[in-house]
Amino acid sequence: MYRTLRVCSNGGAYEALPDPPRPLDLKRVRGVLEREGVAVVDARVMLIAALDPEVTISRSGRLLFKTRDGAVAERAFRRLQALLGLPAPEAGLESERNPA
Amino acid sequence: MARGVMLMSGGIDSPVALHYLLRQGHEMVAVHMDNRPFTDDSPLEKVVDHLTLLRERYQQPIPLYVVPHGSTQVTLMRNTDRHVGCVLCRRFMWRSAERIAEREQARFLATGEALGQVASQTLSNMRSATASVHLPIVRPLIGFDKHEIESVAKSIGTYGISTRPGVCCQAVPDRPATRSNLVQILQEEERVDVDQIIEDCIRKAVVL
Repeated sequence: MYRTLRVCSNGGAYEALPDPPRPLDLKRVRGVLEREGVAVVDARVMLIAALDPEVTISRSGRLLFKTRDGAVAERAFRRLQALLGLPAPEAGLESERNPA
Repeated sequence: MARGVMLMSGGIDSPVALHYLLRQGHEMVAVHMDNRPFTDDSPLEKVVDHLTLLRERYQQPIPLYVVPHGSTQVTLMRNTDRHVGCVLCRRFMWRSAERIAEREQARFLATGEALGQVASQTLSNMRSATASVHLPIVRPLIGFDKHEIESVAKSIGTYGISTRPGVCCQAVPDRPATRSNLVQILQEEERVDVDQIIEDCIRKAVVL
């Protein structure tokens, strides 16, 4: 379950963390993304997907969206959610604040 | 005064360290290890802005070498123990800086490291990292605390640039080693082709 999309500690991106923890099978994720034509850098413990914006996908399930625009991050999250079958948040995904 | 190569990260410390070296009259060359895609564009933008400010202040050209480092990170993450990833990463940074120093006929390397600030800046990790190079390494801020460094950064105008929003390095492991053993580091490094990696990085470096 991803409950919030929050600004990362350095304020340059948004991150989503599964709660409770939900590790991702990165091999499967990479396969799904590449079949969709998304370029992926595979660094073994994380993937970097050339979505809009670029997204870091960690084995732990953490997602980092490299944008300062909450709406753009949320749109990318929805796309990943649809592609990967990520669990939907109960009451919608709420961007905590927009640092831009 | 000597010619030196300064590693610039875009953070608070490195422009302050560079400021002290320039103030002493050293002729400096800057190197930025470009960590994309493990960061965003902001570190490079910050380094460019730091140098614009310091070039103007000290009337020095300070060439900036931008060395691609993301592919090195991928190689390290795929092939080596994540726990010591920061030390291995630093060893490649130092090697690249030393190669550029050879090209630029520089006689020393420099960083903004201060003892104990982050995992890579413990004594044992600094020793493991710098054992990869031969040139002397100058650390003008080694005994400074964070507050002192920030105070100088504000006085020279670099603090506001350094603290702009950005993506921190995503390649940092969850629990980076704070103590490292050089023997273990060398064993880990045997899993990758060090010379080829450095050769590729230096070949792809650009000067701004």
